[in-house]
Amino acid sequence: MSFIDVNHLSKTFKVAKRNSGLKAALKSFVNRKYVSIDAVKDVSFKINKGEIVGYIGPNGAGKSTTIKMLCGILKPDSGSISINHMSPFEERKKFVKDIGVVFGQRSQLWWDIPAEDTFDLLKVIYKIDDKEYLETKNKLVEMLDIKDVIKMPVRQLSLGQRMRCEIAASLLHKPSILFLDEPTIGLDAVSKEKVRNFIIEINKKYKTTVILTSHDMNDIEALANRIILIGRGSKLFDGTLNDLKAKFGNCRKVTIITNDTLKKFNKKGVCKRTKTDIGYEFIIDINLISISSFVNYVGEYVDISDIDIDSDNIDNLIIKLYQEYNI
Amino acid sequence: MDLYFKALGMHIKTSCEYKLSSIINFIAQFFVMFSDYFIIIALFSKFGNIKGFTLYEILLCYSIIQLGYSINDVFFKGLDDFSDIIINGMFDRLLVRPRSLLIQILASKVSLVRTSRIIQCIGIMIYSIINLDLELNLIKVIVLLLMIIGSVVIFFSILLLMSGLSFFTVQGLEIKSLFTYGGKQIAQYPIAIFKKYIVLFFTFVIPYGLVNYYPYLYFLGRNDNVFYAFAPLGTLIFLGISLVVFKLSSNKYVSTGS
Repeated sequence: MSFIDVNHLSKTFKVAKRNSGLKAALKSFVNRKYVSIDAVKDVSFKINKGEIVGYIGPNGAGKSTTIKMLCGILKPDSGSISINHMSPFEERKKFVKDIGVVFGQRSQLWWDIPAEDTFDLLKVIYKIDDKEYLETKNKLVEMLDIKDVIKMPVRQLSLGQRMRCEIAASLLHKPSILFLDEPTIGLDAVSKEKVRNFIIEINKKYKTTVILTSHDMNDIEALANRIILIGRGSKLFDGTLNDLKAKFGNCRKVTIITNDTLKKFNKKGVCKRTKTDIGYEFIIDINLISISSFVNYVGEYVDISDIDIDSDNIDNLIIKLYQEYNI
Repeated sequence: MDLYFKALGMHIKTSCEYKLSSIINFIAQFFVMFSDYFIIIALFSKFGNIKGFTLYEILLCYSIIQLGYSINDVFFKGLDDFSDIIINGMFDRLLVRPRSLLIQILASKVSLVRTSRIIQCIGIMIYSIINLDLELNLIKVIVLLLMIIGSVVIFFSILLLMSGLSFFTVQGLEIKSLFTYGGKQIAQYPIAIFKKYIVLFFTFVIPYGLVNYYPYLYFLGRNDNVFYAFAPLGTLIFLGISLVVFKLSSNKYVSTGS
């Protein structure tokens, strides 16, 4: 059996349906209609110890729901999860000792006092013994370069500093699995780099299994050797980044700067078109249409004052992928 | 419990971060409740007694209930604000930690500035007892302690019960205020001064009477029934029920997907 074994996982939410306006609100108060939403539908995968897996998908695809079920916060409607021979929901207290969770948008640090105090509280929560705690803390502090940072009240920290403290906090009890839900959200390039390097380092050093969700495709590119793509609750792709590129990596983003307006057109190979302030952005598939014929085609209708072609970017790839699966 | 005390230390540290505001709040909280006492004193200067209870008897009863309420307000504030924990998603964080949910909820918030209320209640309690001219013996002291404990237990149980329900309603329940603030307003007086059905309700449904009436008669020497003396222990049944409700609802709780 694999380290993480997920079989036919499903979760449905009941959401109250209401229209806008006061009248509708009153109406829904009396007679509320519910709509079932399949947040996760029949998802299965296996993950081995020491892997870094990028779990990606657009907003509302079911990423967070899956992560919550893996952490034991949510109970699946059907299907099974086995992580390290434990069922997250059934054996919550025993299970969560072995996982670390970072919710990028939600802090677990106490706002008004130094992060080090939160660390001390976590020591009590996880019942870590003194010697081990000091050892782990010092190592994490050194690796994340937050020696002075943890002595300041959290409210005075920059986002990057806080996120590094946040990550340290979730690793104090040396979990064998780390869940990172958008760990680099809102960080600048330097902080992102630091966080990424750190994740790679602990993965190498301690064989920590990392499951990562992110909208920043550079995160995924830098960290994950394997990608699981989810859309509308279903698993769409599971494989390495190279597989993904081989399959869909024929997309280019073409930015055209022009003052003219371009009327709608349908051309094979043009996946996506967006109007910007200064012109248009296209995603095109170079297997179906060559750059030169595309530019020629557009050039017939508008006066192109500048052009930018963005090669093999993973963001484009994902946009194409979403389109392919119609999500 | 080690977790709770560790967190308590951190709450004290947080209060120290905002020195001036903590001091001002501490003093303000002290005066907030004084107005209540003035009303009682004004009332008695007019009427002399209420259904045979004198001013100091009422003050003592009042301070016992207030003390139970204030202790909850200071040390178990996390439970009072539990619906916030659910709404802002903090509850998910509690679920990924290997500790009991209740302890974590209690540790999440403490309102230290309100300790001034506790000090005030104890002051008024001692002042009333001195003026009551009672013969205090060991049993009576025990009964008094039981009344205080019972008062803490009742308010705690109500908060717990309401927290259990807020798993389903998500939004905080105003009905909670009905039982805590409203109940407190009633329970501050020995319930005998009210109508029969109110007495029954506050004996068997929300057992304030077990704290401030039956044992109180014994304490004042108006009744010798031993059952009356140890009635506050009955609040433990209420606590038990609340614990079960809380446990069952937290097991049923399903967090939202986002």
